[in-house]
Amino acid sequence: MPNAEPLLQVSGLRVHFPLQAGLLGRHAGTVKAVDGVAFHIDRGETLGLVGESGCGKSTTGLAMLRMSPLTDGRIHFDGEDITSPDKPALKRLRRRMQMVYQDPFGALNPRMKVLDIIGEPLRVHRLTRGRAAYREKVMALLEKVGLKAEMADRYPHEFSGGQRQRIGIARALAADPELIICDEPVSALDVSIQAQVINLLEDLQKELGLTYLFIAHDLAVVRHLCHRIVVMYLGRVVEVADRETLYDNPQHPYTQALLGAIPIADPDPEVQQHFNPSLSGEVPSPIDPPPGCPFHPRCPHATELCRREAPRALEVEDRHTVACHLHDPDRAQAMAGNL
Amino acid sequence: MNMKAHDVTRRTLLDVRNLHTVFEKDGNEVHAVNQVSFDVKEGEILAIVGESGSGKSITAMSLLRLIPSPPGRIIGGRVLFNDEDLLDLDDEQIRRLRGRDIAMIFQEPMTSLNPSLRIGRQLAEPLLVHGSVPKDQVRERCLELLRQVRLGDPEKRLDAYPHELSGGMRQRVMIAMGLACLPKLLIADEPTTALDVTVQAQILELLRDLVRANNSSMMLITHDLGVVARYADRINVMYAGRIVERGTAEEIFHHPKHPYTLGLMESMPRLDQAPGSRLTPIPGQPPDLSDPPPGCPFHPRCRFAEARCRSERPPLEQLTEHHWKACWVDTDAKR
Repeated sequence: MPNAEPLLQVSGLRVHFPLQAGLLGRHAGTVKAVDGVAFHIDRGETLGLVGESGCGKSTTGLAMLRMSPLTDGRIHFDGEDITSPDKPALKRLRRRMQMVYQDPFGALNPRMKVLDIIGEPLRVHRLTRGRAAYREKVMALLEKVGLKAEMADRYPHEFSGGQRQRIGIARALAADPELIICDEPVSALDVSIQAQVINLLEDLQKELGLTYLFIAHDLAVVRHLCHRIVVMYLGRVVEVADRETLYDNPQHPYTQALLGAIPIADPDPEVQQHFNPSLSGEVPSPIDPPPGCPFHPRCPHATELCRREAPRALEVEDRHTVACHLHDPDRAQAMAGNL
Repeated sequence: MNMKAHDVTRRTLLDVRNLHTVFEKDGNEVHAVNQVSFDVKEGEILAIVGESGSGKSITAMSLLRLIPSPPGRIIGGRVLFNDEDLLDLDDEQIRRLRGRDIAMIFQEPMTSLNPSLRIGRQLAEPLLVHGSVPKDQVRERCLELLRQVRLGDPEKRLDAYPHELSGGMRQRVMIAMGLACLPKLLIADEPTTALDVTVQAQILELLRDLVRANNSSMMLITHDLGVVARYADRINVMYAGRIVERGTAEEIFHHPKHPYTLGLMESMPRLDQAPGSRLTPIPGQPPDLSDPPPGCPFHPRCRFAEARCRSERPPLEQLTEHHWKACWVDTDAKR
């Protein structure tokens, strides 16, 4: 590998939001949206960030772009510490890191022409000289994402959901970024349109050598697109593994439950046997998360230790990390005593 | 799945014939549901699948005459329920039937519950309206319903307001309301789309078990093919306001015949296929129903389209006992 250093490295990330109550804004608690998250993204890879609502995956994505305040932790991008960048550094950083949002209806300003929506990063970062070059660049971007160059003078409402998502992707590409953070980019789209956008993202990655952080809750889409996957639960990372390992050999009880709960599009009784909707309960509130392992109230294997102490992330095999006491050899004994 | 509905001996509970619902939009008529015919057998789970704008939800709402009018209007067809045409009933008669004989569960448990009324009050409403149980037993019946949908702490929940419950709990309350009067038919419109996958799994299993236990039938409306494969006995695939294919779950998933159904199967990333293989999307997008294309509504996106498809609309024709499709092309020969 020409450059083995990860493009992005996150350690000990915490994003806590104060919760206020009443007219005087009395402090009423803390939402621990992200509570001790570490991972890295290699150059050219697609890293999946998955989990159910409230697991902190979107907040983590926004933290990468330095769009949500950090409570604690460090973020390195291309070797540079971007935890607390000054204004010029932040602007440089946002040129190299772009975002594609979930809602293709809400993410585009309805009063702006597509030309100026896609061209915004070009203007902000002064990347083209003169009106003609600007227009030409935007038209090239439109064609790159499978739209027609002459659509530049239209407004967002004239486009369908899938086309709007292409416009959002074109805007993200305008400044020639290295990393694109995609937050649920296809979940608002119909299946037949979703596949068009998935293929486009794959093609662009190959053509431009892009790195993606792909945030999603649909595990079939994630399996299709991502090389490596981070599973989050209630603000923490519970498991990290390569795609094949994660889907064939999940080790964390939450990952196992999550994979078992996805209905498979095949009525064959033998296939349906793999469906295992055993997990009960729902994700607890991040305002008052349970002590110890955040998953213990729903975990079929939980012991006294899990209720008391948060597990540490341990490498169970090469490139496979699990945060669960069951997989911690130092703890296995203590657990056996507690069972 | 203990019962299979391909059992022809089963009685037809609901028989929909040539249902036609239009909406007025900017002076144009939009044919949201266009000559749709299907039936629901007793004890069956029948799915209607389709993407946004296919007409699946409008079909369901038309059955119970819940179409906002204006701009919507049912302009034709028959909806025979126990041999009575629901489109002939007056407002009072249809109100009496809703919730008692046919109940509906909507997608958004947040907006379908009244935020200012306690759960117990809302749950009691169908029971009181239809007089299904004596007044002094309503509370007991409500508790029983909440226990049935496995909502923990039912006594406490009766006094709770919707915002005090999680999304999954609210959907359990909706199911309890839907089942309160033991309807013969339950229409569930995307009942779990707003929920997380682990909660979706619990809710759908519960819904299926309760429908079976009550000997009710269910019409399951969804865009999720995984959900359809697991729960449906028979499936209707809708596109642009029409049913384009109908069959048993086996037929639709293992032997799809309509190019649109085939396209859906190929464009979906699947957990049971090798990862990294390229998806085959359906090109283009669904037609504008205020100005639909001539001929088959799918022809502009269809890789099999022939001259005839562009001018003549194919009728829904029977292939085998349960399998129907609306397509001129022999897709098996062309694949």
